[in-house]
Formats: sequence, C-alpha cells, structure tokens
Amino acid sequence: MNFSKRLLVILIGAWLPIALISAWWVSSADSENPYFPPLSIIWDRFIELWVSDQFMINVVPSLRNLAVGFGLACFIGIIGGSLLGGSKSLGRYFEPFIDFQRSIPAVATVPIFIVIFGLDAEMRIAAITFAASMPILIATIQGVRATDTTVIETATVFRLSRSQILWRVRLPAAMPLIFSGLQVGLQIAFVVTIASEYLGAGFGIGAFTLIAADSFLILDAWTGVILMGLLGYAINIIFDVVERFSLRWYIGQKKLA
Amino acid sequence: MTVEISIRDVSMEFPSPDGVKHVLDSISYDVTEGHFVSIVGPSGVGKTTLLRLLTGLTQPTSGEIQVRGQRISGAPKGLAVVLQDYTRSLMPWLTVEKNISLPLRNQKLSKVEMRERISAALLEVGLEGTERIYPWQLSGGMQQRVSIARALAVRPSILVMDEPFASVDAQTRFDLEDLVLKVRNDFGITTLMVTHDIDEAVYLSDEIVVLHGKPAKVRDVVRVEIPFPRTQMQTRNDPVFADLRTHVYAMVRGLE
Repeated sequence: MNFSKRLLVILIGAWLPIALISAWWVSSADSENPYFPPLSIIWDRFIELWVSDQFMINVVPSLRNLAVGFGLACFIGIIGGSLLGGSKSLGRYFEPFIDFQRSIPAVATVPIFIVIFGLDAEMRIAAITFAASMPILIATIQGVRATDTTVIETATVFRLSRSQILWRVRLPAAMPLIFSGLQVGLQIAFVVTIASEYLGAGFGIGAFTLIAADSFLILDAWTGVILMGLLGYAINIIFDVVERFSLRWYIGQKKLA
Repeated sequence: MTVEISIRDVSMEFPSPDGVKHVLDSISYDVTEGHFVSIVGPSGVGKTTLLRLLTGLTQPTSGEIQVRGQRISGAPKGLAVVLQDYTRSLMPWLTVEKNISLPLRNQKLSKVEMRERISAALLEVGLEGTERIYPWQLSGGMQQRVSIARALAVRPSILVMDEPFASVDAQTRFDLEDLVLKVRNDFGITTLMVTHDIDEAVYLSDEIVVLHGKPAKVRDVVRVEIPFPRTQMQTRNDPVFADLRTHVYAMVRGLE
C-alpha cells in the first residue's frame, strides 16, 4: 500500500471516533450539569493533570504492574501450555483444574489475592498474572496439540529429540493460535490492572479515578476514564505491531495462498 | 555388494472397525548399498506403510528391518526423507537456510561448517542465494528442491522419498527427476522411493519392487538394465525402457 492509500484507510476508520468526539464537544459545550462538564474543560484538566508528575505517580505504577503481570502470564502460559500440550499424561493431571478455573471471572479472584498478598503491588501483579495466563495457557495447549503430524514426523525422522520437536517445531507452529490467546490475555490483564486498584490502592490510574469519583472531583474522574481508554488503545496498537512482526511468516504465507 | 537395508519377513496389521486389517504380508527384500530402488504398486497397497516402517515411524507387527545389520527401532542414523507434501514438511516459520540447518543441530558442527553444508546443498539443487527467504515464497518445484537440499545436508547414507514429485507440474517433474539422477551420480546415496508413476520408477531406478495383493506381497523385483547416464529424451525412447514399463504396468494392474 502506498502512503496516500494508507492515509485514506486511516481517515475512513477515523470518521466515527471523530464524529462522536465532535458531537460530545458541541453538545456538552453549554452544559451546567456537574456530572457532565463540557468536554473542552475536561480536556484542559486532562492536559493539566496528566502532562505533569501525576503521570509518574499514577500511570507508571499501573503500567508497570500490567507489564510485569502480563510478562509473567506470557511466560507461564506459553511454557506451561507447551509442556501440557506436549505431554498427554501431564495434560490429564492438570486439565480438569484448568477447565474449572477458566470459568471463574477474572476479576472475581482479586479478593483471594488480597487475602494472600495483602494490598501491595505483589497482589495486583499476582492477580493480573493469574487471570491473564489462563487464555494464553489454553491457546498454547490447543496450538501445540494441533501441530500437523507431517511436520512432526519429518522432524522425528531427522532425529530431533522430543524436546527439540516441542520447542523448535510444535511451539513455533502454534504461534498463530498462541497470539490470539495473548490478545485475550492482554485485555484481561488490562481489566484486572484497573480493577485491582479499585481495592485499597492509594495510587494508580484505577485508584485515582475511583478516589476522584468518590470525592466528587468529577472532572478528574472524567480525565481518568479518558486516559484509560487512550492507554488501552495504545497497548492494542503495540500488540498489533508485535504480532505482525512475529507472525510475518504466517501472514505472508496466507497472502500467497 | 554390501546390503544396506534388509527387510526381513515384515508383516503389518492395523486394528480396524471390522477386526484386523492385514496390510503387508511377510515382505522380504534387501537393498544394495548405493542402489536406487522404487516401490510401486496399486493405490492403497501399502507402499507408504512400508516407508513408514523403514523410517522407524511405526514398528512392524512381525519381522524386522535392519540397517547395516542393526535392527531399527526408531529413526535410523544417517537417514533423510523427502515427502510429497513439501508445504507441510518444510517449516514455514523458518527461512530456507534455517530449514536446512534444523536437522543439523545435533551434529555439533561449527558455524563455518554449517554454512558450508547449507550452501553446498543449495548449490547441488540449484538454489544458491535463497538462504534468507522463506520456502513459501518459492514455487512448488523449488520448495521440493529445498526439501532435497535439507536431506542432502545431513550427508545421509539412505534417502527415503515418498512420492516426491506427485505435487508438481509435469515439466517440473522432469527437472526434479534429472536432479535426483544428478544427486545419485554425485553421492551414490542408497535411495528408496515410493511412486505411482511407473515411467518415473523405470527412468530412475536400479531395481523396482512391485507390491501387489491384499495383504501386499512382493509380486516381483525388476532390475532396470539401462546404463547411466540416463536422459529424458534418449532413455525414454530405449526399447528396454518400453518393455520394462509395460511389464511393470501389467503387474501393478494385475494383468500379468
């Protein structure tokens, strides 16, 4: 795609957000309702609040929890999923538990982690890791199991060991499926990052927003909501870039087929 | 003449919905070192089953297969494969170079040796300069050449090919057959090939094993006494070629 075509695609995709924001901006311009202040005022407050040291105080800790929690979830999900997917007997020991635990809503486990870890960052990271690792684990198990037998047999005849076949053949072959698990896991991780701050946190973007709302600092709460939306969107864009780079072999192959 | 592979009284049965399916019935055959042997027979006769036994992927119900006097229980050392479906046999996430080097991982080669092996193998199949691209960016015939290069890079003493040219067009097929003749001439690897194409079997082989029946038995072993080098134009016009293909065809079809 050349540059002007790409620009056109972006503009076509942007019409609805632009229209909604414009509508919000115009319709809220004369608002006297304290719960729905004019967007122009929210925006001024947004810049004032977040282009300042507040970013370091409230946003960086949340993002750090998210990064550490999601990173651990990736590690546990992919390594654990490969082992469980690669070994039928190991799978039998753990799968009933995984099936049970995947049906618990991610946010519902936060109180349990508070009991175990208290109200520190470790609790939030543990909750994020636990919740986000499940879709990754399940996607990895399925992906590793679904590897085409031809490629496994080829590797077997070339005398690759069982563990080489697992890590060098079945795991990379499963990457397209694993990435869809990673995407779900990342969304869950973001939700749990915010939700875990609703309980007993003094700082963090979720805590900030909740405290602002409870203190009738409606303007501040609005900026928090907008910031969460923007962060979520930015995280998704980064994920897309990483995915497209990691799966370029898969995408390229699909394009030719 | 040394015997490289010895198939001894091999029978194969599979469990099936209506009892036991008896596929191979006491197959015995010795493959001479350096020979090119084709296995032909009607569809579903058990050719691929026999190849799976030779590669150690499955074990026979009775009898045994020996490679240089050693009974095999898994994939034998020094054996390489080329399969029909190159799109599934090559790893799409690896470049050509990495595909070729994957089976070399356990050979403890230095980086330089590895690089030399890869470029020598690619040169042999006429694909020099494709190291950094993905196999799926190549045409079907070229992908199968990558498979052959991967097999050659392990410096095998035995090459097993399962209908290697069944998924490419006729013109490419001739090119790949001639490539296999060149490889044979350059390295003299003991080769076993399963094929449906009787002309191809006659053109490439020293010996053709004809399987027939349910369960399959060795119907006949045909020696192809056509001198090397063989060429598509001359060899296929040789009266010996015509006689042999008629003979083998008749046996495969059960007419003889």
